[in-house]
Amino acid sequence: MPCFTTAEEWLEQSKLLLEARPSTTRITTKYSIKPARRPRKEARPDEEARPPRGTLVFKTYDPASGVVLKYRTSKAAEVSRLIHSSLGRLSRGMAGVPEPPAEEVMPDAPTATDTGNADSTAASQAQPQPPVGGGGGGKKKKKGKK
Amino acid sequence: MTPGKSHLSQSEFFDRLEKLFSERKGGDHGAIHLSQKRLKNTEDTDMPSADEPFPDLNITEPHSIVIRATNGKSKKERDSKVRISTVVKPEDLEEFYTRYADICKTGMTALKPRDRNKKKLKAKKKKNAT
Repeated sequence: MPCFTTAEEWLEQSKLLLEARPSTTRITTKYSIKPARRPRKEARPDEEARPPRGTLVFKTYDPASGVVLKYRTSKAAEVSRLIHSSLGRLSRGMAGVPEPPAEEVMPDAPTATDTGNADSTAASQAQPQPPVGGGGGGKKKKKGKK
Repeated sequence: MTPGKSHLSQSEFFDRLEKLFSERKGGDHGAIHLSQKRLKNTEDTDMPSADEPFPDLNITEPHSIVIRATNGKSKKERDSKVRISTVVKPEDLEEFYTRYADICKTGMTALKPRDRNKKKLKAKKKKNAT
């Protein structure tokens, strides 16, 4: 059961799964709250309790083939991007709606051939590439700094 | 997971979803499960056959999508279990997800706020600098 480290990867794989199995694949989103764990040292009772932490798990599951794709996050900043653009885009694939031109500005992305009709096979071939960079890029760049 | 009740209208669904999230606010445990899948048309042939191993790839028209939400209660606590669902037509998807994302964003209050991370990053930078 792969749990992807980046949202982009999860989105890409989920998109491919939905292309292959659009009618059986489902996407579940679990928002769960658990009491915060105290650090093992200094577990003083007088210490002010830390607020409970929530996690958000996105899971794409196809019962027919048994594929599970997961992505877990605890960052509030990611919520609206993940739900609005990622889930929104995946749901278009799920519904069988042809992809509209990508919202993100991608200067050298191949232009999606305009299929115009609702033919699903044609629509799936015209998938624009996932947004590269975005949120995940920041961390990697720092490594090169001296 | 078949809903006992019929699907709600979108606005009603959003109202109930907001309520669901507000019940989680302030608590220190619990969960909200959301799910989405394609709504099958009645005339669809579901069973793959030898001639047509993937009947779902040859659809002629876009499908609607079912969105479900529960508060994750088990059978034992059926009284307090909340289960809601709604159907989104393909042409309404964009509008629906804008609102949906908004409600989720405001409802998921226990996630790490952005500021916290910035502070940590700054602290880290300082550490590295010295």
